[in-house]
Amino acid sequence: MKEILASLPRLNDKYSIFSCITEDAEIGDSEFLFSAKDGMTSKDMMTRCGSKILDGYRPTFDATAIERMRNAGGKLIGKCNMDEFGFGTFSTTSAYGIPKNPFDLERSCGGSSGGSACAAAVIDGHISLGASTGGSICCPASFCGVYGLVPTYGRVSRYGLVDYGNSLDKIGLISSDPERIARFLPVISGKDTKDSTSCGQPKLELKGKRIKTIGVPEEPLAGVSKEVLSSFESSLDALRSMGIEVNRIKMPSLKYAMPAYFILATSEASTNLASFVGMRYGQQDGDLSLKFDDYFTYFRTKYFGEEAKRRILLGTYTRMAGFRDRYYSKALKVRLHIIEYYKKIFSEHDAVLTPTMPFVSPRFDEISKMTPIESYSADYLTCPPDLAGMPHLSVPCGYNRDGMPIGMQFVTDHWEEDSLITFAKDWDSAFDVRKPEVSL
Amino acid sequence: MERTTVERVARAAHFALSEEEFEKYSKDLAEIFDYFKILDEAPEGEGYGVNPLEVGDVLRDDVPGIFIDPYELLKDMKTYENYVRGPRLL
Repeated sequence: MKEILASLPRLNDKYSIFSCITEDAEIGDSEFLFSAKDGMTSKDMMTRCGSKILDGYRPTFDATAIERMRNAGGKLIGKCNMDEFGFGTFSTTSAYGIPKNPFDLERSCGGSSGGSACAAAVIDGHISLGASTGGSICCPASFCGVYGLVPTYGRVSRYGLVDYGNSLDKIGLISSDPERIARFLPVISGKDTKDSTSCGQPKLELKGKRIKTIGVPEEPLAGVSKEVLSSFESSLDALRSMGIEVNRIKMPSLKYAMPAYFILATSEASTNLASFVGMRYGQQDGDLSLKFDDYFTYFRTKYFGEEAKRRILLGTYTRMAGFRDRYYSKALKVRLHIIEYYKKIFSEHDAVLTPTMPFVSPRFDEISKMTPIESYSADYLTCPPDLAGMPHLSVPCGYNRDGMPIGMQFVTDHWEEDSLITFAKDWDSAFDVRKPEVSL
Repeated sequence: MERTTVERVARAAHFALSEEEFEKYSKDLAEIFDYFKILDEAPEGEGYGVNPLEVGDVLRDDVPGIFIDPYELLKDMKTYENYVRGPRLL
């Protein structure tokens, strides 16, 4: 562990994983090392959510998930780079370094938990806490060739997780080894009176329940690249050879998940981020003789990035009088429909399976040319389970001819994390997961 | 999207946008909402839930207590005699 700690600055120079690294080089009584997305508060390191507006913010408390990892013997080694407040698919909106894909440094780690997935891929024996609102764990796990688990909404306390979309945010785990996810999910799960959404959960029980039947919706496959589709179809054969029944199903409503997600997420974000006005947290260099409206406007204009402004504008619009019913209220009802639809599928299948992302990680020059809609559309496979609050898991399932990882995503019913974890462990024995070459 | 609408939204969000930003965001928002039109035809579920799962009311016992030392919090803020300093209200 000491060697890993010593190597962190060099790793960071190469991959831009962390927005800050622990200054404490002593291992002490720690039993394992972990990292966390910088959207979670930590009392010994800054918490900046990839945003300039929070520069200098040093919380006085740990997020519950971080506290529980520390209590289990973990040492927090660093806070991971992320898209600003989670607003992105490629971690390119981070103000403190854009993580580079360990399989090709010219490509993205995915987002928004890009630094966490990179850490999981390049640090031996590592576990990282990520957070997902619309794909922010599964996307980077897929792009970096590691396992990413998003538990059911409410399974892990959100206390200390800086809100993006509070009805969508979930803390989860990213690792190259599913055994570590199995070990640490019980650590971070459980009721926490500081987050009432965690208090209605049934007890997490990992009993080795297996997925026996899978539904593969046909409609989303039309938007997937040829190389991802080819790898995905080969994986279906592998699943059949593992004794899992694979059935093609119809889920036409999945296409509504992405717009419904963006409306709810940005509506919630636009109110949640209203508290960042140059008082209490982070940057506070304004002129207090200004009238409060001007003072707040100065900070928000100066320190929020381009995508953050776009999403706040979007969310402000969808909540405004005259538009609210058409967008926000409608999106809430569509979410309920999608949940009902999933439940119907789960009455006949144990899981729903799609590729995780429609393409392998793009190059940074390709990302810079994407329009907002093109970028948002990249999330169309990860949005549905996140919108529905259902647990989901990305596992590596192939590599394209350039060696870039491809992932597939399993979704199960609310509170059914057990079968996802069992599957990940079984798959890890059956599939040859490649590790990136890490030379410093 | 009309300029006056974007101006109204930006004002509500406390952003002072440049001319270039007004143009960019007007175009972006128009494209995004054009894409979102697909929701008009989307089926709706029963009810009106603001969370994906039912969230129970969990109340703490009514016992006074300090979760975080307020003086620790004040260290991060501009203060005057232990009051948080803010901009002018009037």
